[in-house]
Amino acid sequence: MVVCLQGEAGITFCFALQVNRVDYTMNCTSPIAPEMQRITLELPENLLHIFFPILQKGIRVPAMVGCSLKSLLCEQFAIPADYVTGRITTIFFNNSPVDDLDQTIVQDDSRITLSAAMPGLVGATMRRGGYYAALRGGISHIVDHGGAEAEYGTVRLKLFNLLLAELGPLVLARGLILEHDELIDLLKNLPGHSGDLSASSGKVFLAVRFSY
Amino acid sequence: MDKIARIDMGAAGGPKVTVGDLGEYAGLGGRAMTSLVVAAEVHPQAHPLGAENKLVIAPGMLSGTTGSMTGRLSVGCKSPLTGTIKESNAGGQAAQVLARLGYAAVILEGKPEGDDLYKIVINKDGIQVVVDNSLKLLDNYPLVAKLRQEYGDKVAYMTIGSAGERKLLSASIACTDPELRPTRHCGRGGVGAVMGAKMVKAIIIDDAGMKMRPPKNPDAYRDANRKFVEGLRKHPVTGEGLPAYGTNVLTNVLNEAGGYPTNNFKTGQFEGGSKISGEAQAELEIKRGGSATHGCHRGCVIQCSGIFNDKDGNYVTKQPEYETVWSHGGHCGISNLDTIAKLDYIDDNIGVDTIEMGVTIGVAMDAGLAEFGDDAAAIRLMEEVEKGTPLGRVLGCGAAITGKVFGLERVPVVKDQALPAYDPRAVQGIGVTYATSTQGADHTMGYAIATNILKVGGDVDPLKPEGQVELSRNLQIATAAIDSTGMCLFIAFAILDQPETFQALLDMLGSFHGITMTGDDVVALGKKVLSAERDFNARAGFTKHHDRLPRFFHNEAIAPHNLTFMVKDEELDELFNW
Repeated sequence: MVVCLQGEAGITFCFALQVNRVDYTMNCTSPIAPEMQRITLELPENLLHIFFPILQKGIRVPAMVGCSLKSLLCEQFAIPADYVTGRITTIFFNNSPVDDLDQTIVQDDSRITLSAAMPGLVGATMRRGGYYAALRGGISHIVDHGGAEAEYGTVRLKLFNLLLAELGPLVLARGLILEHDELIDLLKNLPGHSGDLSASSGKVFLAVRFSY
Repeated sequence: MDKIARIDMGAAGGPKVTVGDLGEYAGLGGRAMTSLVVAAEVHPQAHPLGAENKLVIAPGMLSGTTGSMTGRLSVGCKSPLTGTIKESNAGGQAAQVLARLGYAAVILEGKPEGDDLYKIVINKDGIQVVVDNSLKLLDNYPLVAKLRQEYGDKVAYMTIGSAGERKLLSASIACTDPELRPTRHCGRGGVGAVMGAKMVKAIIIDDAGMKMRPPKNPDAYRDANRKFVEGLRKHPVTGEGLPAYGTNVLTNVLNEAGGYPTNNFKTGQFEGGSKISGEAQAELEIKRGGSATHGCHRGCVIQCSGIFNDKDGNYVTKQPEYETVWSHGGHCGISNLDTIAKLDYIDDNIGVDTIEMGVTIGVAMDAGLAEFGDDAAAIRLMEEVEKGTPLGRVLGCGAAITGKVFGLERVPVVKDQALPAYDPRAVQGIGVTYATSTQGADHTMGYAIATNILKVGGDVDPLKPEGQVELSRNLQIATAAIDSTGMCLFIAFAILDQPETFQALLDMLGSFHGITMTGDDVVALGKKVLSAERDFNARAGFTKHHDRLPRFFHNEAIAPHNLTFMVKDEELDELFNW
């Protein structure tokens, strides 16, 4: 079933409900249960900012885990390698600053946070492989030796600062899993929508596409 | 800048102004000027609020020129908060205007008898010291509004609010921004109390009739400045991150790292962090018709500040900085940007250091005066300071005093100055700087992250764990040097990554003064300043045993990393061995 609502300023929300198919945005077989409600939003680009709070707080995204963090970013998320190297200068893995992407192995439920370069001494300290990394040596991620078995799972992803606008569309298009209540709260922020989607509950798979 | 003005506020017959040449202080600016004057001329045992202390006001080496980012003003004295030497600097217009008038320093000396309150007017015709008791107990915003009626809008104002008049140990000196708001503060160490002790309420600096300071080599200076600005604009921190979000962009990152001190340093993560992040703050400012991008002085290209309006679009305060958002926010369990903005306004208006006051409110909450997260209570406690009640005077004298009065053990201070927004258990290296700084706990004392470019201390392995003391030492040397140039410390991000931008800075200094400057010269200057400060403190009675963090940082592990501060005392003692 597809629900289309005409919102203010010509905004169209299309909700594809309970479509039992692999979403076009997924690069791997989804760990999403077939019965999970799937919703695709098509929004104008100027509404991207509505998603900034949840992107900062962290979203749960499906992923093939057991791979390196570099593989996750460059291959699964399809972020160009030079962007990862030059732009995503600060990365946290389970709250620990990361220096080596190749030797950081992603597990199910890993928490990954991406940030651009930060100001301040401590901002510089947090930089990946930065000159001042020793100043936060006690909390740095210790490299993982050896791999892990590849399996489907989810990771908790956060985006900060400049990366919100730059990576937000890519991440949201790929899709995220959220609780129904979280979706309702999110939809309330969209102009012309009350958030009154349906009476269902449980987890929802949401993909958001932005038109430019 | 070829002269120094000395104003003896305690002279017989009333304040006496003497203007002389630079003498042994020739070539100095900013922190180098303030610290070398204080070290040479202030008795180390002097009472900070007594006649023997001096308040030294000094623009930077390039202030008053066409150069970008040259507008920091240094204020130095013996600190009433810490008892150490103190340099506190701020942006705003004062440094540029004072430098164009030719003053390398204005030094307030002595202490007047009686209750008269003075204002000092500095212009091309000289310096007048005038009694004006109509200014008594005016806070900074109404004070500047009143002064503007008399002196207009084409001047810079340096003022103290009621906190400075009451000689509270957290009192600051406000410098007006380009819109003549008293928002830029020499905040740390109680410098406002020293100005208040000398009964000086306001300094009005008028550069009408004066021109930009001319470089010795104008073409080379223009070229170097152009390259310097290009370097700042192309760097992701100075050209993108800071203009878009301001320094509060650090909230999310520190919170994620588990280094965001919360509820008076009880834990390293704040649940409400994303609500008060720089990202959230910038979006709210823009939505309300304020701005997330604003310069604190003319000639700033980074524009890390902003304008915070209320929900009706009315001005509340300038964009609170990261340390302010932290001290009044996560440190107190508060996650409401409107509350934080209101507290920032009160800080600026009465004239107190936002870090010291926010930390103090958190200490007071921990002592049971209010619950963490109680916005109304935080405002109420600040209003006590505003009114000058007995409780307000205790709070206004900072975290150390408040902790003692209320019998609290967990008091985050070093040399009685409140720790800023970075937990030293998560970022142990900054704990080294907090502990060993000549000025009490202060993140900006080891902030100039360009030590690799400066080659301070040679090559250090950044991943070597034992390098923390060495790194902190080098950072403190580099910072002392940058502080002496009067350049905004935020330039350090661009010169860290871009050697050509650092070279442009050296070329600016060299072409302006007609000298050749190298990285070695910068390092030598930094060491000279630090050595003088360290020597002053030693004569004032400070020993290596004062270079320590409070014991709770050693005894209480902090979540989420479950770490204590582990740098050994013997390592800390090595910091000043060069």
